[in-house]
Amino acid sequence: MLKGIRRLISRVHKAKHGEQHEGQHYNIPLQDLKTVFPNGLPSRFVMQVKTFGEACLMVRKPALELLHYLKNTNFAYPAVRYLVYGEKGTGKTLSLCHVIHFCAKQDWLILHIPDGKNFLSFLQPAKDSKLIKVQEKYVWNKRESTEKGSPLGEVVEQGITRVKNATDAVGIVLKELKRQSSLGIFRLLVAVDGVNALWGRTTLKREDKSLIAPEELALIHNLRKMVKNDWHGGAIVLTLSQTGSVFKPRRAYLPQELLGKEGFDALDPFIPMLVSNYTPKEFESCLQYYLENNWLQHEKAHTEDGKKELLFLSNANPWQLERLCAYL
Amino acid sequence: MAASAVKGVRGWSSLPLVARRAVLRLPGVTQVRWSRYGPEYRDPKIDKEYYHKPVAELTEEEKYDQELKKTQLIKAAPAMKTSSVFEDPVISKFTNMMMKGGNKVLARSLMTQTLEAVKRKQFEKYHAASAEEQATIERNPYTIFHQALKNCEPVIGLVPILKGGHFYQVPVPLADRRRRFLAMKWMITECRENKHRRTLMPEKLSHELLEAFHNQGPVVKKKQDMHKMAEANRALAHYRWW
Repeated sequence: MLKGIRRLISRVHKAKHGEQHEGQHYNIPLQDLKTVFPNGLPSRFVMQVKTFGEACLMVRKPALELLHYLKNTNFAYPAVRYLVYGEKGTGKTLSLCHVIHFCAKQDWLILHIPDGKNFLSFLQPAKDSKLIKVQEKYVWNKRESTEKGSPLGEVVEQGITRVKNATDAVGIVLKELKRQSSLGIFRLLVAVDGVNALWGRTTLKREDKSLIAPEELALIHNLRKMVKNDWHGGAIVLTLSQTGSVFKPRRAYLPQELLGKEGFDALDPFIPMLVSNYTPKEFESCLQYYLENNWLQHEKAHTEDGKKELLFLSNANPWQLERLCAYL
Repeated sequence: MAASAVKGVRGWSSLPLVARRAVLRLPGVTQVRWSRYGPEYRDPKIDKEYYHKPVAELTEEEKYDQELKKTQLIKAAPAMKTSSVFEDPVISKFTNMMMKGGNKVLARSLMTQTLEAVKRKQFEKYHAASAEEQATIERNPYTIFHQALKNCEPVIGLVPILKGGHFYQVPVPLADRRRRFLAMKWMITECRENKHRRTLMPEKLSHELLEAFHNQGPVVKKKQDMHKMAEANRALAHYRWW
């Protein structure tokens, strides 16, 4: 039954992904990858893209659900929070990337924070950033100030040149984005990967070796304000991640465990989306994809016994399967 | 069960008679770790296909074998020997030789990273090559590994023989297992010693394996040096008496 599944390289527009496409791979043009994800993809996926020369993501149920909800959002209501959670290596980050790519194609403005721990946040405007105007006057110091009505790019430049005011610049940028998306000028998607880092403990220390609480960091404070649903005109998609978190047990994957009481209360109410291991159909599809790219070079990997063994060794976990197939 | 019954059987003829260590023997319990199995123990057969054969298909010999197994004692199978389809004895041996301090986890991860690195490098070459060249590029890391080690095996070796108070390096034909051992040993020593402080083992090993696959590189050179030395000492071949 499962032998007949062929991978469909659907160059169909992502908006037309339906339930019949579940388990199949779709291709993202490499140009899009560079613009939409300068650094948001997991490192092993980047290596795979480089080796195969193409970026293919599998269409899976949680992503399809999210896309369905996003297509039917009512932008007059406050932004809805979706929390993607699941065990390690089940595909949370890639589901997030799928959603982000969809929104980029639909010309939403995307605020993608790839790694909750490292806070490398970049702004991904679908349109020219000159169109977003600052609505207030901001005074940096005695000599410099940003006038009302000037484009947002100036604030960003100000932050890059004056390192001391960089965190304030980020805060201003975020505030303006929130305010303006509420006005309906554009639609904003806030995508944070590893959101549990915003509420966990930090390992940073001050000069006198006392631990810094996350509230005191300006970046975290601004991001928390971003994730609050007191604005409308967009959506917030979040992912939990145990790999970067400190002081949390390795097996923890539920929102309550990883976010802690504070985080859970701050994010409540949200819509949880569970990402689990591959279904048999998805597993077959993944193996077919590897076979078509000639990635599985071991002669025994093509046989039924080999496939059974791969299923047993990886337990249909995408991360584990990828690592196994890498050396077979 | 005297120790004298052990001598002369199973190739122990060259060893001097050694009494067994006094060991606590409980009835029905056979020690496995550090044990020297008696001659009555047979080697285990780890082969899924053999055991999945239905009774009707067995030949007379195999039926006799199965009957015999019911009364014979069998040694315990070693922990690293599995009935996995992906198992390769050469790779296991190489991993064991790379292992330091019993850290098999690290050795195995280095081995898998090496195979992955070899595969990725070959894929890059494949995508960059033209259609005719693509047919010649080998992408299977296991064939590359086996071929590379075969290319590093010396045919003839040197053995120090004491004659007249001096040690002479005498050319001698090597057994298969000695050749495989030397190839692996040279490969590992080369990768450990002649690399930059900051290069990692998988990277260096993958590079050396690819070079040996094409019959270039320092390990193949070492094999050729060994052949030249043996050729140079041809006159001493008479000193060999076996």
